[in-house]
Amino acid sequence: MSKTNTNILRSLLLLSYVIIITLVIYGFGALYSYLNTGADRSKMLHTEVKQVDQYLPELQWAPLDNEGRPIDEQTLSKIENDYLDAWYVKYVAYKTNTKQGIDDYYTKSARANIFNIIAINTENKTTIEATTLEHHPSLEFFSEDGQLAVLTDHDVIEFKRIYKSEKLITEVTEKSSYKVTLLLEDGFWRIRHLVKIDSEPYAKEKGNPPIKISKITGINYYPQVNPWDMFGDSFDTKIITADFDIIRDSGLNSIRVFVPYDSFGKSSVDSTQLDQFLKLLDIAEAKNLKVMVTLFDFYGDYSVLDWTLTQRHAKVIVNALKDHKALSFWDIKNEPNLDFESRGEKLVTAWLDKMIDFVKSQDPNHAVTIGWSNAQSANILKDKLDFVSFHYYEALEELDATYRALKTKIPDKPVVISEYGVSSYSGLWNPFGNSEDDQAAYHKTIQSVFTKNDIPFMSWTLYDFDKIPKEVVGRLPWRQNAQKHFGFIDENGIQKPSFKFISKE
Amino acid sequence: MTLKYLYISILCILLISTTVALQISEASSYYKSLSKQSTFTAGDTIELKFLFSGNADVYLYCSNSYGSVVLNPIATNTKLSFSIPKSVSKKSGILNWQLISDKTEVTGQVNIKPKTSIKTIESYLGPPSIEAGGTDFTMLVIIPTDDLDNPLIDSTKVEIKRQFLVNQNTSDVFTEHGFGYRNIYSETKSGRILISSEVLELNSKEYDVNVVPAIPTNFEINAERIHDYADGNQITTFKTTVIKDRYCNNVSDGTFVTFFITNKDGYKSKTSGLTINGIAVAELLHPDHEEQWSIKAYVEGMANSNKIELDYKQAISDFDVVFSEDKRTINIGPLKSFMSQRAPDGLQVNLLIYKDGLLQEQFIESSFNGKTKFHLNTDRFPKGNYNLEIKVAGMTKTFSDMSYE
Repeated sequence: MSKTNTNILRSLLLLSYVIIITLVIYGFGALYSYLNTGADRSKMLHTEVKQVDQYLPELQWAPLDNEGRPIDEQTLSKIENDYLDAWYVKYVAYKTNTKQGIDDYYTKSARANIFNIIAINTENKTTIEATTLEHHPSLEFFSEDGQLAVLTDHDVIEFKRIYKSEKLITEVTEKSSYKVTLLLEDGFWRIRHLVKIDSEPYAKEKGNPPIKISKITGINYYPQVNPWDMFGDSFDTKIITADFDIIRDSGLNSIRVFVPYDSFGKSSVDSTQLDQFLKLLDIAEAKNLKVMVTLFDFYGDYSVLDWTLTQRHAKVIVNALKDHKALSFWDIKNEPNLDFESRGEKLVTAWLDKMIDFVKSQDPNHAVTIGWSNAQSANILKDKLDFVSFHYYEALEELDATYRALKTKIPDKPVVISEYGVSSYSGLWNPFGNSEDDQAAYHKTIQSVFTKNDIPFMSWTLYDFDKIPKEVVGRLPWRQNAQKHFGFIDENGIQKPSFKFISKE
Repeated sequence: MTLKYLYISILCILLISTTVALQISEASSYYKSLSKQSTFTAGDTIELKFLFSGNADVYLYCSNSYGSVVLNPIATNTKLSFSIPKSVSKKSGILNWQLISDKTEVTGQVNIKPKTSIKTIESYLGPPSIEAGGTDFTMLVIIPTDDLDNPLIDSTKVEIKRQFLVNQNTSDVFTEHGFGYRNIYSETKSGRILISSEVLELNSKEYDVNVVPAIPTNFEINAERIHDYADGNQITTFKTTVIKDRYCNNVSDGTFVTFFITNKDGYKSKTSGLTINGIAVAELLHPDHEEQWSIKAYVEGMANSNKIELDYKQAISDFDVVFSEDKRTINIGPLKSFMSQRAPDGLQVNLLIYKDGLLQEQFIESSFNGKTKFHLNTDRFPKGNYNLEIKVAGMTKTFSDMSYE
């Protein structure tokens, strides 16, 4: 007994010894690693600061004709970056009523003005979400020692959403001009003086009369093997060429294709994918098909401070594609009304409104539309669009009445149905679903409605798909399976009965 | 039955009347700006007043140069008034406002001018030193501001005063875009320009700019030595003439001058000095044997001197070598210099020992009291025949086939 006790005691002693030594070593280790943190040279020198695009409003320098020292391009771009960052940090400050970042971009006496306004807004429970969309600066002066610059920023387009106690009370768009004095301090071009010299409410003047569109008989297109993911590594011109032959031969003249916002690189557009898109247009041109390009697919942020980035995205894409003969229309966004609930109708509409103006400013020669998900939303922004388009997945028998009602509201512009169709899925998850024959009957009937009312149409879609990304309809199997069977051609490449009615009754 | 109709009709009337009343109240919400004044001076109390009827639950959005605020009204029966906070109204520039109500949109703007009195002169002067000659210049930028830190109105007169040597003058510039500037050129003399400015009778502090001499022009050199013997002991001093720029200003103190010395075999040495009052001085030890030096000095990349030649005469004409009985101790000297005086301590004496044509060892000693002594150790140099060579002051004496026991 006592021997056992001694052994227990011994092992306890041994164990405690091991534990103590472990703790001591751990303690020294922690102290050592603590003492080795902080003084990281790369951090001290700011060599690791990653350049992330946060704010990219349109900015156009006036031709350089400044007094003082001639400026070099590098300094000018440094001034431009810091000046835009100054706007950005200011708007972040007003959105959150915090002072983060202001110190870097405003001199001591200038930042006091911003802090005063933050104090007032905090007290009044006001927050302001704002962005600038355009700047037209002209450099007035650059000092001989390179430490002071004065510029006049003409016609700055500012958009503000003003909240009081977290409730949106108004939206303002202004066109203002500012005189700005900047000083080079601690490596930052900081704003020393900012004087608003001019301001007026801004509304884009009525643009050109709507662009006439030709007769559309079309289809929404994704390849069978990689729906919603046709660009990038899986881009295949052979498949696309073959598919376009099928579409052309079926008697259709248009396709609708999507540009996913995220995978195309957001504000820094991936040139490989853009080239692939141009190849797709080349093939379409060769096959005599017109392409409706739907921008901003899967974009869902809409926050005001993100607008300049979407603007940059649209600028690159629109300018790359606008001269292509195969391009027919711009569809700003697919079914943006589905984001009304989560992002707010006003915010989404404001974004669309500005984006229509922007796309038109970049490409005045192609008609612009928005692919609303239902006929009820099709009224929104109708005056700004060249033609109205909506998607129809409701009951077939109501289409005629719905379309006519809409047409009376929008008598002067074409109204296009840019998506419609029915799934031929009936199975475990929906035993009472439509058969392939039902689908054919649907298409036959709808074609008769189109013919009767002379409705331009684009169907959903060419193929049945094997897999649907969860971003499209979620993960629920009955939705996934239904979405897989909207095609005119099944997954084995065999034409379904509906194919007969793909372009005509 | 009649009661039922009556009931329905009463309900209908009620419904219609409330709708009508609502419409009336909406239609009658009416706002009109009463403020006529459209120009203010920074710091003024700005109160925007509106005549209204109907809904008093409105806000005023207003935005100045730096940001936007939303204000609540003070309402009386027919009037709404908004007082713009001091920190917003004190900044110059356009202040635009908009009355936020659910019905009519009333907008407007006021122009806030900076004060006409000045508080501070913000001056930026640079670069801080410029080159003489009238082409280089420094720039003075003046931003006059009022006591609320607004830049004064454009076309404000700025007097810029400068003083240099005997000249003193004043010139005027007028501000544009909130600032005024003037280039201040150097003259042909080096020195210091004092600069100040005056705006609306407020004077700035004094600024100064150094006018440094322009780059040096070519110069001459000369050498000084106490004798021309190659004694390896005295020092030759090289000196430049006063180095000047092309406007006859002495070059800046500390201008680096390098002297390159080439000996008769073509080997180069260099020594250097910094200018003080335009003159650079450098020194080098005399050679210890007959030599011809040619010397040229450079301010690198900018200017150079003429070339001078110096001859050094042999100071020591001969020397004695005395071996001990076992020949292992070798006494050299006395070494006599040019006046037969003992050569100064530190003269280098070389002893080279060869065996079978191969160099075995080289000893270097310095003379002391005109003498040097070498001792050949028996362990290092065992029995045999050796050739010895002794070199002093460029002279060599050879002892062949010395046999050692």
